[in-house]
Amino acid sequence: MSYDKDGAAEILPPQAMSGPLKFQITMASDPRLLAVVRSTISELAAVWGLGDEGCRGVTRAVDEALSNIIRHAYKNRSDGEIELSCRTDADCLEFTFVDRGDPADRARICAQPLDDTSLCGRGTHLIRQIMDQVYYERVGEVNRLRLKKYLPGAKRKA
Amino acid sequence: MKTAIRERSGSTIVDVTGNIDMGTSPSFRKTLLESLKNTPRLVVNLREVLYVDSSGIASLVEVLKEARKAEKRLVLIGLNAPVHEVLQLTRLTRIFEIRETEEAALES
Repeated sequence: MSYDKDGAAEILPPQAMSGPLKFQITMASDPRLLAVVRSTISELAAVWGLGDEGCRGVTRAVDEALSNIIRHAYKNRSDGEIELSCRTDADCLEFTFVDRGDPADRARICAQPLDDTSLCGRGTHLIRQIMDQVYYERVGEVNRLRLKKYLPGAKRKA
Repeated sequence: MKTAIRERSGSTIVDVTGNIDMGTSPSFRKTLLESLKNTPRLVVNLREVLYVDSSGIASLVEVLKEARKAEKRLVLIGLNAPVHEVLQLTRLTRIFEIRETEEAALES
């Protein structure tokens, strides 16, 4: 926070803030926490500089990813642990999810074509619609999912 | 998430408030399926819904399937931006019967 000559706090617009943003939480695999995380991510995305639609999109992608981890990795148990971290660069917002649940089905992460009446697969579809890159890996007993969103107009690294 | 059920013009209207996510969608689904049993037309008012995730959408799809099986109607009303957005992203805007207002839903 900086102050002007009269001592009043100056609120800098997001794009004027320098340096990357870092954020990390560890949460239980409890669906009651999803709304809490959504609020936080929505604020984070706004601080980073996304507009309303972008904030809603990123929030939705994170929420769907967490729901998938709770549902599939932890089989709806609420005693699992999920680490969610967020890192920003000048042009990219990246979320990493780490859990120690069951391995993911890679075929499902790749998102199946949507069927009008299918009751599943839409979460993964939404994540892939919203985020620019999706990476999943299993290392030992740990699942790691990374979601990347580029700022509109940002040059993407190959 | 909260639901309130009322009857009007021979139809059942379910007013939904709050967030429909993984934690609340089972209750949402159960309420809609129960309500559908006793009515020829179920109207779901989503005007006060702040957020709906893919499990909420899946619940709506399931209720739609049941409605079709029973030759009943499911109508969605009050679609605000977040709800409309997720229906568009999941390519379901053409699958559901959507009306702007309760009056339009009951007249059609």
